[in-house]
Amino acid sequence: MTGFPVSAATTPNLWQRSARADAIAVLVVAATALVLFLLFPQSLALLTRIVAIMLLVLSLDLVTGYSGVATLGHATVFGAGAYAAGILAARFGVADPLLMLAIGALAGALAGGVSSLVILRGHGLGQLVLSIAIVQLAHEMANKFSSWTGGSDGLSGIMPSPLFGLFRFDLWGRTGYWLAVALLIIVFLVLRAVVRSPFGMLCRGIKQDPVRVRAMGAPVYFTLVKMYAIAGAVAGLGGALSAISTKVVGLDSLSFSLSAEALVMLVLGGTGKIFGAMLGTIVFVWFEDIVSAINPFHWLTIVGVLLVVVVLFAPKGLVGAIESVVSRMRGRKT
Amino acid sequence: MKKLVLASLALGLMSGAALAETIKIGVVGPFSGPAALQGRNFQAGIDAWLAMNGSTVAGHDIEIVYRDLPAADPAQSAALTQDLVVGEGVHYLAGYYYTPDAMAAAPILEEANVPMVIFNAATSAIVNASPYVVRTSFTTWQTSTPMATVARERGIDKVITVVTDYGPGVDSENAFVAGFTGAGGNIVESIRMPMNTNDFSPIMQRVKDSGAEAVFAFLPAGPATLGFMQAYVENGLKDAGVTLLAPGDLTQEPDLAALGDNALGVLTTFHYAVSHDSPENQAFVAAASKAIGNPADLSFPAVGAFDGMYVISKMIEATGGNQDAKAAVEAVKGLAWTSPRGPVSINPENRHLTQNIYLREVAKVDGHYINQEIQTFENQGDPGWKAP
Repeated sequence: MTGFPVSAATTPNLWQRSARADAIAVLVVAATALVLFLLFPQSLALLTRIVAIMLLVLSLDLVTGYSGVATLGHATVFGAGAYAAGILAARFGVADPLLMLAIGALAGALAGGVSSLVILRGHGLGQLVLSIAIVQLAHEMANKFSSWTGGSDGLSGIMPSPLFGLFRFDLWGRTGYWLAVALLIIVFLVLRAVVRSPFGMLCRGIKQDPVRVRAMGAPVYFTLVKMYAIAGAVAGLGGALSAISTKVVGLDSLSFSLSAEALVMLVLGGTGKIFGAMLGTIVFVWFEDIVSAINPFHWLTIVGVLLVVVVLFAPKGLVGAIESVVSRMRGRKT
Repeated sequence: MKKLVLASLALGLMSGAALAETIKIGVVGPFSGPAALQGRNFQAGIDAWLAMNGSTVAGHDIEIVYRDLPAADPAQSAALTQDLVVGEGVHYLAGYYYTPDAMAAAPILEEANVPMVIFNAATSAIVNASPYVVRTSFTTWQTSTPMATVARERGIDKVITVVTDYGPGVDSENAFVAGFTGAGGNIVESIRMPMNTNDFSPIMQRVKDSGAEAVFAFLPAGPATLGFMQAYVENGLKDAGVTLLAPGDLTQEPDLAALGDNALGVLTTFHYAVSHDSPENQAFVAAASKAIGNPADLSFPAVGAFDGMYVISKMIEATGGNQDAKAAVEAVKGLAWTSPRGPVSINPENRHLTQNIYLREVAKVDGHYINQEIQTFENQGDPGWKAP
């Protein structure tokens, strides 16, 4: 942006610093993935599922946390990716996992771009209602075209071929897990670059004051549509990953409840932060899994209590709470 | 010294008994959320079986591992099933209330070498998803088809069908329409209602306008059935003499008290009524009522679970506790026994139950509403099943 000569002058330095931060962050993610792999070799399916949902929550963070679009229908893009990849494999016999991922991302981007044309017409509550309407429409469409989607029985018969022709998607879920981790790291790096780019800054500007951004001469509507398409690609990847690893796609992947749950995870971790989206998903899904295994009959109550506690004592989410603790400790030292 | 030898011998014997491997059965079902009642019925059926037969089969202790799946969620079902197999090391999988959940778990069975006994999920095609699937419940085709015969026998000529627009609803419509038109009846209209319909008045108006003598309806058991029955009465269809025909999901026992007199005289066809008159059922109801706490909560998933446990026990006996899914499934093909619902057998071709389907009428007996069985269709297979 030519309007900000000061930031332009400091850019190289900033890029260098952020490249180092990126490298550290990637190492942290990879190390965590390795530790989890060694500690929980029996829960790889769950971990893979967490990564798939993480991609959905990251995507939601892009449109809600960074761009300020209120949506309770974000599962639309996740489901679009899942169904596109699933239909490709189950109906057309194209079972190469990388191709399925590519199609999933493409379908997600398309669904994101198209649905945003409608959602962005509304503001505030109206926007929320539009987003819910869109996810319900998508859900009903998938139910109606049951010869393609399997309807309420779910789309089954997805048999992904071995990754690179070498690694089979077996019962233990090792291949699925490492594919998921690799995907997550790539998406993570791309998103860090996106949110730091002038385009990402523009989105944040729009979140803070769309009128002012428009007065500056920057296009608000099409910037957000573009962001929506990027977010759609990310969630679509998540959907495709879920289709590959679980070998089935259900109507729930296009549901309002999944959309709402994703928002809960985002709030839990902290909005407007990439790590927030990731941490929120891990904590929520894992906690849910542990509690529901301990007490399959009353576990929802315990999850409810966790959410109330987090909202009361850490309104900026877990990452926000950690950040404030860290900064307080630093403040004391200096 | 002698005592010491004896003691160590006794110890050795005891540890020998403990060495007989514990057989783990993983049960996936809705144990929380709106369908929690159905999940509790799974549990009641299992507990009733264990109470009546003991928790040891062929010298092996049985341990049940529950996993909660509140709504149809195939991806979660696949993850839970994988975790049960790999993490918990279960020898048998059981439960599965919704079709998509069973479909999602089926591809895992062959590699895991684990048989699956379905306690409920009712779409015909599930048994084709894996050779290791055995089902002890029913299919919507199985329970809906005899109703066409009933309607024709009662001289009904023109019927309108009203079903919820999802897999089982469409199955139910197809089954009834095939049977009814095959027997020379006329379907005047077929209405498919969206999943979350709560206001049934407009639908009742269309039923009225269609001039049909009877309405065939399918809705999944739950709060919506209550609203549907009320709308049927309040819109004057009952008084106008439009007969309501439905599979038994519409009048499952826990709903009857709430439906009250509105449901009196409604005809349903189903595989099991809690009031079924047989010594086997009396023993089962006594044990299952104790397990579930409130006898009024007892419903059809319990009998699916009870018979499922019987089938699993036969599998354990046949394999001597070894992990051999193929042998276990082979052993129960053609198995016949007397279930609380009546005589049943496992069709070796599709591993689904052949059973009696009963025509029942809602009646008030001793102040309780029950599904009174008034006619029996013996040895019904699954008309909806097609060989893969």
